[in-house]
This record gives sequence, C-alpha cells and structure tokens, in this order.
Amino acid sequence: MSELFRRDPRAQWIARNRLHPMHQALVIGPVFGPSGLLRKNLHIIGFIGPNGLKRIDRSGASNDSEQGSRRSATASEVILPLHQVIEPAFYVVVVLDLVSGRLNGHDKDTLGLAQQLANRNCGNDNGGGAVVAIAFGELKDDSLDKAGVDRLIHINDEQYAHYNPEQRCNDLQGIIAELDPQHILLPDSINGGGDLGRRLAAAMKQRPACGVWKLNDDSVVCRGSAGKSDITRPLSKLMLVMEECSEPVSETRHENIEIPQKSSRLVDGKLLDQGNISVDPNAIPLAEAGFILSGGNGINDWAQFHHTASVLGATEGASRVAVDDGNMPRERQVGATGTWVTAQVYIAVGISGAIQHMQGIGQCDKVVAINTDEGCDMVKRADISAIGDSTEILARLVELVEQRKLAKQTINEGTSNE
Amino acid sequence: MSSSEFLSQFLFTLISFAILLTLVGAVKRMLLWSQGQSSTIHWLGLLQIPRRYLVDLHHVVARDKYMSNTHVATAGGFVLSSILIILLYVFQLKLQILTWALLGSSLLMFVGSIFVMIRRRNPPPNLSLGKWQRLPKSLMVFSLSFFILTLPATGILPSDTGGWLLAVLLVAGIIWGIGEMFFGMTWGGPMKHAFAGALHLGLHRRQERFGNGQSTGLKAIDLSAKKLGVEKPIDFKWNQLLSFDACVECGRCENNCPAFAAGQPLNPKKLIQDMVIGMAGGDDAKFAGSPYPGIKVGTHKGGAIIPIVNVLVESDTLWSCTTCRACVDACPMMIEHVDAIVDMRRFETMEKGQTPGKGSEILENLSATDNPNGFDPSSRMNWAADQNLTVFGHDEKKQEVTEADVLLWIGDAAFDMRNQRTLRAIIKLLRAADVNFAVLGDAEFDSGDLARRLGDEATFQRLATSNISTMNKYQFKTIVTADPHAFHCIKNEYVEFGGNYNVMHHTGFFADLVTENKLLLDNSKELALTYHDPCYLGRYNGEYDAPRFLLESMGVKIKEMDRSKSTARCCGGGGGAPVTDIPGKQRIPDMRMADVVETKAEIVAVACPQCNLMLEGVVEPRPEVKDIAELMLDALIEGGIENTGEGVVVNMVGAQL
Amino acid sequence: MSNNNLSVISLVSIGEHPTSRRPRRAEQDARAIELGIKLVGDNLQTLHAGKLSDDPSQQTALRSYLGMGLSEIHLLEMSENADAVLVIAEYLKQQKIDIILTGVRAENGESSGMLPYLLAEQLGMAMVTSIAEILSIDEVNQQAEVLQALPRGQRRKLKIDLPFIASVDMAAAMPRQSAFGPAMRGQFEATQAATVTDQESSGWQVADAKKRPKRLKIIKAKTAADRFKAATAKASGGGGKVVHGVEESAQAILDLLVEEGLV
Repeated sequence: MSELFRRDPRAQWIARNRLHPMHQALVIGPVFGPSGLLRKNLHIIGFIGPNGLKRIDRSGASNDSEQGSRRSATASEVILPLHQVIEPAFYVVVVLDLVSGRLNGHDKDTLGLAQQLANRNCGNDNGGGAVVAIAFGELKDDSLDKAGVDRLIHINDEQYAHYNPEQRCNDLQGIIAELDPQHILLPDSINGGGDLGRRLAAAMKQRPACGVWKLNDDSVVCRGSAGKSDITRPLSKLMLVMEECSEPVSETRHENIEIPQKSSRLVDGKLLDQGNISVDPNAIPLAEAGFILSGGNGINDWAQFHHTASVLGATEGASRVAVDDGNMPRERQVGATGTWVTAQVYIAVGISGAIQHMQGIGQCDKVVAINTDEGCDMVKRADISAIGDSTEILARLVELVEQRKLAKQTINEGTSNE
Repeated sequence: MSSSEFLSQFLFTLISFAILLTLVGAVKRMLLWSQGQSSTIHWLGLLQIPRRYLVDLHHVVARDKYMSNTHVATAGGFVLSSILIILLYVFQLKLQILTWALLGSSLLMFVGSIFVMIRRRNPPPNLSLGKWQRLPKSLMVFSLSFFILTLPATGILPSDTGGWLLAVLLVAGIIWGIGEMFFGMTWGGPMKHAFAGALHLGLHRRQERFGNGQSTGLKAIDLSAKKLGVEKPIDFKWNQLLSFDACVECGRCENNCPAFAAGQPLNPKKLIQDMVIGMAGGDDAKFAGSPYPGIKVGTHKGGAIIPIVNVLVESDTLWSCTTCRACVDACPMMIEHVDAIVDMRRFETMEKGQTPGKGSEILENLSATDNPNGFDPSSRMNWAADQNLTVFGHDEKKQEVTEADVLLWIGDAAFDMRNQRTLRAIIKLLRAADVNFAVLGDAEFDSGDLARRLGDEATFQRLATSNISTMNKYQFKTIVTADPHAFHCIKNEYVEFGGNYNVMHHTGFFADLVTENKLLLDNSKELALTYHDPCYLGRYNGEYDAPRFLLESMGVKIKEMDRSKSTARCCGGGGGAPVTDIPGKQRIPDMRMADVVETKAEIVAVACPQCNLMLEGVVEPRPEVKDIAELMLDALIEGGIENTGEGVVVNMVGAQL
Repeated sequence: MSNNNLSVISLVSIGEHPTSRRPRRAEQDARAIELGIKLVGDNLQTLHAGKLSDDPSQQTALRSYLGMGLSEIHLLEMSENADAVLVIAEYLKQQKIDIILTGVRAENGESSGMLPYLLAEQLGMAMVTSIAEILSIDEVNQQAEVLQALPRGQRRKLKIDLPFIASVDMAAAMPRQSAFGPAMRGQFEATQAATVTDQESSGWQVADAKKRPKRLKIIKAKTAADRFKAATAKASGGGGKVVHGVEESAQAILDLLVEEGLV
C-alpha cells in the first residue's frame, strides 16, 4: 500500500470533538493533526500522581520501551553519507593505539580531531586533506570508515603483536618521509601512543605539542604542569592529544582505502618485550585499582568475601572497621583516613558509609551497595543498592558470574573448533 | 672487750666504710648522668627538695592512701634513722636523746616496712618483682637491727644483752641493712630511687611543675644542631638521664597508659627502665615488671653510645604513645616520659626519616599544603561559605578587619565534615552572645601539634612561626578554639617562638559567657550523659571544670566515668597515634567507649574534634557522640537576654516549655 | 642487589604540589631516586639543572631529595628559561653512565615528558618509559630486565640493553621519607653550564588549567522528541536504584558489571 498520507476529515472532526459518541474509540490510535503531524492526546496518556495531579512520564521508562528499541533498530540501519577525498591536498596522519585490535574512545577522538584539521579552511570537496590512519598489528575493528579514516596504512607482522616502539618509530619515519603530512596526531595515552609519539618527536627533532585537549583556529590548548595549567600555543606538526580533545566522527562515513606499504627496514631494537606478567588483583595498589570489592562490618563470612573477589577479579578494599577488627590489612583501607580510590566500579559490601569512607570513594564512577539497612548513607550514594543478606547475594553473584564464564568458554571453544 | 664495745667500734668502721662506698657510687652515678647533654642546672631547686618531696611528690603518692602512709612511715623513719646513725656512730655523739630518737625512728620505719611487706605479699601486676621483693625484708632487717642495737643504749635493756650471739646476728643484720640502704642506693639497688629521686626533684628539667604549677609544652630544639633528637642515651639531657634513675617502678604509669591497656607494645615503666639500661649498659633480662605487650623481656640490650631504637627499644614502642600524659601525671617521681619519647621520635623522623604508617605522607602534606591531609589550602574556608564570617585582613573591599575581640581559631576541623558541625554550632553560639569575632581564613595554618608529636620539629617550627607572624598582624584580645591540641600548642608551645596570647578553649570561653548571662541555656532537658575529658584540655591544661559547668548549666547531671578528670583515658587520637597506627590487641577508642557504656549514658559529650572522630569511629550501636558546643546549641534559648536598666530580663520564650 | 660497578644517575627536578602549587620534591623523581638507591645504594649520583636559590627556605624542594640520604646533588647552574636538555646532555656525554633515571614528566612548565626521549636520542641510549621496577641487571651481557607499568596495575616485562634511560612511573615503589637533618646537611656541587634559552615557548600563553567540560552523551536522534527523551532518560533512570531480593540483586549487579565490561 502506498505510504502517502491521506486525510480523513470526518475522523479528524470526531477526534477534535470530545463529545462525539465515537470520540473515545477513534483517539486510541495515533492521531494526526491537520498538517499531518502526529499528535499526542494528553488526555489519555499519563497517570494521576499522588497529589491528584496528572503526571506524564516522558522518560520512556514506563511505556515507550518497545517503541524506543524499534526506533534504535531502524536508526542503526541509516546509511551515513560518504565523505570522499579524491585528490587529497595534504595528509593528516593518525597513529592508532588499537588496544586489542580495536578502536577505543581515545582513538576515535583523535580521528575526530584529525578530520577537523583535514577539513578546516576549505569547502566540501576541494582542498581538503585526507586522514591517514596507521594501524600496527592485528586489526579487528570494522568500523574504521565510520570513525573517520580516509586512508589506512596497515602494518601487520608477527613482531607487531608485541611492544616494539623502536621498530614502529622507524616505520613511522619512513611513512612520514613519503607522505609529508601536515600534521601527525597520536593519542597521548599510556597504551603506546604517548611513548611512540615522543620517540618519534625525538627522532624527527620536532617539538611536539603534548596533552592537547582543544583546537582553536590556529592554536591548540595543552595541559601543562602535569595538568595544572593550560598552555595556548600555535599548532605544531606533531601533536599528542588527550581524550575528548574533539568529538568523534559521527555524521559521515569515510573511504578507508588501504595504501599498500612497502616492507620496512627491520630495526635492531634495544628493547625486547618479554610479555605481560600476570598481576594478582590484590597486588594492585588500591588507588590504581579499577574494580574494587570492599568489605565492612556487615560481612560475616570473610572467606566467601575473598572468594568472591577472586571470582570477580576485583581488588579487595575494606572499611576502617573491618581493618580495625583485623579482618583486612591496613593498606586495604578505603576512605579519607585510608586510601582515596578512583575505581570505575566500587562494590561496598556491608559498609554503611561513614563520612570519611564516602569522602574516599568520591571519585568512583559506579558505586554498588550491598547492605541490610536501606536507610544507610552508602545506599543513598550508590547507583545500585541491593538490600538483603550479603552472604546470599554474593553467593548468587558468584554463581551467575561463573555460569557466564562457562557459557563464554563454550562459545569460544565452539568458534575455535570451526 | 665486751660485745657492745665491739659493736660500737665495728659500727664506726662499717658505717664510715659504707658511706665512703656510697659516695664513690654516687660519683660514679653522677658521671653516668654527666654523659648527657648540657642543660640548665637549677641549683636553687636543690634547696626545695624537702618541700617538693613533702608537697608535690606526696600529692601524687597520696592518690593511693595506703601507699602514701606506708611511704611516710618508711621513708621518714629511714631518713631520720640514717641521720641519727651517722651522728651516733660516725661522729660518736653519745647523747641520750639521740639514742631515744633513733629507737623511735627505727620503730617507725619498722612499722612502715611491715605494710610494705603486706603489700608485697600479693603484688598487683604493675609492681616490679625481683630486687623489689627483697626491699621490704631489707627495710625490716635494717630497722629491726638498729632498733635492737639501740635498746641497750637507752637503758631499757641492760648492756651486753644477748652476748656475742646477738652481736653477731646484729652485725649480720646491719651489714645487710646498710648494704641495701646505703651502698645499694648508689650502686643500682632499689634504694637508688631515693638518691636519684631527691636530686631529680631538685634539678628537674621542668621546675615550673612544682608548687601547683604547670609545664606541659614540649621543649624546642635547635634545628641547626649536628644531631636532631635522641639517638643514643647520651643524647638525652643530663637531667633527663637523672630522671630515669629516679624511677621507683611503682607501675602507676603502666596502670594509666592507654596503649599498654590496648595491648600495644608500650609500657612507660619498662621504657624508663630501658633508658636506665641504656645509660648504664647491659640487657633487660633482669627487668621484673610487665613487659611491653607482645615483646619478650631479655631480648634487648643497650649502652650509652649504642643507638636506642630497634636495639634497646623497638620503634613500635615509641610510636604507640598517644602523648596523653597520663603516665607523667601519675608518676610520683615526676618523670617526663612524653618528653623522652618525643625526643627519640625526633631522631627517627628528622634524621632517619622513618615515621611509620601514614606519617611520612602526613608530614609531606603539612609542608606542601599546611594541613595534614593535603587539601587545597585555598579551600580551607569552603565549609563556611554560607557563614558569612568576618576575616582578618587588609583588603577593605572584602570587608576584612584588622581588629576584633576574639580570633576564632578554626583548626583542621575545617576539612572534616563531622567537625564542621561543631564549628557551625560554635559560630551560632558566638553570634547569639553577640561576640565580635573574626577568623584568619586561608592564612591560618595547621597549629603544628601533629607534626611536633610525630617528631618533625622543623615543620612544627615553620608552622608556628608562620602562624605567629600572621596573628601578629592583627589586634585581638583572645583566641578561642574548639581544638584542645591547637589550644595547647598556641598557649604553651608558641611562647618559645615569641607568641604570647590569651588563648581559651571554647568551653572556657562559653562558660564565661554563661556566667555573665550572655548565653542562656535551657536547663530542663534530662539527658543521660557523660563527659570525656580531652587529654590536651584536661591533663595538659588543667581545664576540668568549664565543660562540666556548661553541662550542668544545661541541667545535666553528669554520669562520671571511673577514669575521669586527671585520670581520664585517652581516646587514642593524640600524638599521631591514629597516623602511625601501631597494632594492638584492641583499639583505644573501643576501650574508652566501653567506659562510656558502663555509665549507661546515652550521650557522651566531648570537647575535642579528635576525640569526636575517634569515639564516633566506634561501631554502632553505641552512645551518641556530641561536642559540648552542639549540645549547647540544642539547649540555647534564642532571643536571649535584654539588658535593661534594672538588670537582666530574660526572654522566656523557650524556657517556659 | 650488589651492583657496585654500575654507574647510575638520577635526574631530579623541582616539583609542584597539585593544589597548593608550592615547590616540592617531584613524586616521580623521588621514586626514581628510591629505585636508584635500591639499585646501587650510596653510589647513586643525582643531577639537577637549574638555579639554587640563596634563600634557604626556597631550597627545600631540592633539599628534600638530599633528605632521602643522598650526600650531594650535582647542580648544573643555568638560567630559569634555559633548555635543560642541552645542558644535561652536554654534561652526561662526558660521563660513563649505565643507567639514567628520570620521572615520566615534570610537574611544572611544559611538562611534555620529552626530556628522557631527547636525552636518549642525543646520547644514543635505549629508552624505556614508565617503569615500575628494575628486576635484574646482567652486567656480562649488558642487559637489564625491567617492569613497565601499564594502566590499572598491569605490568609488562622488558629486556633492555645497557646503557639506558628509564622514566619512572608513579606505580614504582613509594619513595622513602625525606628527613630534615640530612636534607639540611647535604651538599650541592655546582658547575656553571652554558645555556641556550628556549625561544619558542616565550610566545605561549600560560593560564591556570580550566576545568574541562564533561562530555555529554552524543544523541543521534533525529527528532526533538527523541533528543528530549534521551536527555531526560539519564536523569531519571539508573541513579540510586534499590533492588530487593537475592536473585534480583545479583542479577542487577551482574548487569552493571557486564555493562562496564568487567566480567
């Protein structure tokens, strides 16, 4: 059937006339206004709140979930316009971190900034530069086009699976000599970009702009003094950029054409990667830990607590009371009087939340409270609060996690068998 | 030659010889003391010895009535007997009255020694055994021998009674008695306490302590010295070495030490005895009292030029101390344990850089941010953003002032959310009483109390001098603070750096306001309440009454704890103890809270931010912890008082309820 | 470890406290010294390029390194805005050094973290960044094993040829406490260094760091209603959810862990 919108003046008339006997029946479905726009009947949605006032929940939490998912499903099918650079006026090189072969947020932001640099001071199709992404090692990500990669140089070889910054630095110098890019961007990260960028700068005798977090017209703003000051300085050829230096590319698709690369000269490195060593989560200093399971006075079964931590792979923390009672060592104490933590997820088991403790977890991203007392301060602060016996909840959590691990393993084995 | 003639001859020789040996011993002992560093010699103090002994020392001893009576009898009898013996047998003054006097004094001493003996039958654990168990027998033998010896001379018994047999027995008894009482006095016997103690009373390093005076501030050291603090026994001042010798091992310090009670490895008595071992050389195997909890006796030795820490005394012992001064206060010999501990801590921190626990972090924070937790120094007044406080300063645009009646010292409670509540209460009370006050704002630094007690004299002196130079820019009459540690520091320890201020703790200041009817408190509330004396307010500054007066003004009948006022137990928060965090068997605040629970109080009133934190740190359920200022604010009758011509008219809006 | 033949030098700078901005011992440099002392004890050399103030109260930052038990710091005297790299490289070229230890980056100034790389380039040495520990040194084969700090407490083991430069990460062992006495008694041995002023940085504008705006969730919605929904959904949903019951609780926590990618 045609999707053309047809007006039904009678139906519209009935919909407008609330006294019409057929009104109720007609307005249940979607109602279109005279211009064809969808109209919501505010009289039939919502509910009567506790004060007797009508409340309409627009959050989508209550009734629109189905609609929302449908909408997002259609949105993902949207094909973004393709941004083409046929004759690049210049190049902007981005060296990707590619942690475990995938783009991370920092990579995407760097590409976003690179696209800004490639397309400033020019119209849509002429004079623009091309963003060349350089990927070392395995590349598992297939969204490079959506992240803003116009050209790709992919150097893959057995040795790039390891940390070999000297070789990479040498390869980059070769590429740069060939492309003569206007700018070279690297994420100023601990995942390799920061190190590689500085090596490259030293080798090229280029003064890099480090810690760039903002691009103005002809200048960049860098964090100096270990984050305490902002230095505004001219754009430089080599820039090490911070996370969120720019919005990632989201509106366009890019060509992602791979430029074949001549095999590069092998460097006799002075560094040799011996591989990562396995680190016991409990050997990680609390301040550095990303995932902390913290126990307090409400824990009865400490053996279970330690077991849960090891199953979850979490670093153990403790409240002051747990430390005072000798259940945990002093260096595990979280709080203003212990260690200030910065975990991504902090699970507080049986900790009611003394002020000093709450101060110490102020910088944690997500806080989970497991507690019997719903009124305690920790529950007020937590993103998720599980009210109940901690022993039971932890036991169930361990079960769930182990099930999940098992399920994952079977999937992995299945794929590897294929 | 009759036996009595022989005795008289023999005694002359024996006593003269014993006195000679005693003098030799005394010189040797003095040489040991003189190894110490030079210090002012208060010669005039020597004249005061009898008075100090009879008044100041007995004031402490008399807290135990039994012991004080016993000591009067024994010591009085002995001193008198000794003088008479010397007159009678060395100078041969054969006066009948002296003989009778000797008879009386030796009898007195004998009676005393019986009580000593009874006490030593089942000695409480704080008493040392070993040679101290021998002492009552020696006392008895000495007094009895001279008593019997004197009987014939008075004519009560015929001369030559008992013949040679008794003479031999008496000779044996006298040799034992004189050996213990004279010779032992300077050669390391238990009677050493009498000799060293007497001199110590005269030459005490803190002369101000006598005659009801107070001297509790730590003494400054010269930071340009070649060695900072005490490493070896000879690094103590000579009069400190002397004071160690005065120890009578009564163990009252041990009974009062919170760290000892909590099972932390500190026993003040053993520490002082270890200092004696260090001074004279040897090991601690003969020590016959309670050990440091968890550390075996007999495993450590020392010498005058051997480093003390971790050889003679474990560093944990030093760092267990909360500097609560309970030991000093309880010591009848007026020994200054805290001074010695801080002296040794100074070396650990300033020369070795080995402050345990979070100590080094705290000290680094203090030098970088002037507060112990490393908060942004410009955020010091953030807590008071809504308080509209008047700040001292010269910027008229910000309405800063250079003059006010009261300087309100905020202290590090500014950064602590719990104690900010107390500060807010104080400000409301000050405003209710219409007090003209101002604060130093960001220009206020930590008082330096913590740094000093952690042994970092350098940081303390920097903070103290900066604070003094800041305060000297402004005019005010009184400094008021809620923090007894700051109170003590500014009042007693800034003096050496030229800071002389009239400092009051908020309880003292408010007590005056209440007396002057400037603050009116509702006294109708019935609270089951007890009061915990902060060490730095009570023992350090003798303020026991103002807080109690305030509580009583609110109609509270305080349920006093057994350990209160001068024997109050520390909350465990002083002297950097929470920072160094030496493990023990239990926690000091838990013990203190148990004291509170015993009184069946529902609220424990405190007057110190540190006590507040330590006691609130005790796991619930427990009595509520509230600062006196908070309680006062609850009981404050707003609208207050109008001064009319006829006198004070009370606005009874709240009071009628 | 006894590495008596090893020549180790640590480069120290004057740090700056993050909130009070007062000069202090730089945290990473102090860790470098700690590592150096553990490696060679008293044989550790220490070098600083800069000027020593005549006022003792201004010397505390440098002296706090001495307080760690160093007997002296070698001082290359140069003016304030001179390029330290050239000065240090010139000095080090004349020495026979096996290991140079530095911090990862300075606590003030440009704080680019380039110094160790530039020195490595000029001296032709190997360079390793962000180390947490030196595991062993094989003097026969002229190799060392080091642990490199990775995010969230992970470690990578590396073999590196001597001589090398290593920048020391915050994950390295805590530096020992600086004691006042030795700090005051330690010596500075100063030599005048020829200096080249850093011209380039003179044109830069330096201001206190501005707080960076928190990035909003990008909403790829095409209609106003969707954008509105997406913007408000976050405020009402998620935060402060209270769950009762064992099963529901465990599931809710697991969901969060999965969402955060931790399980």
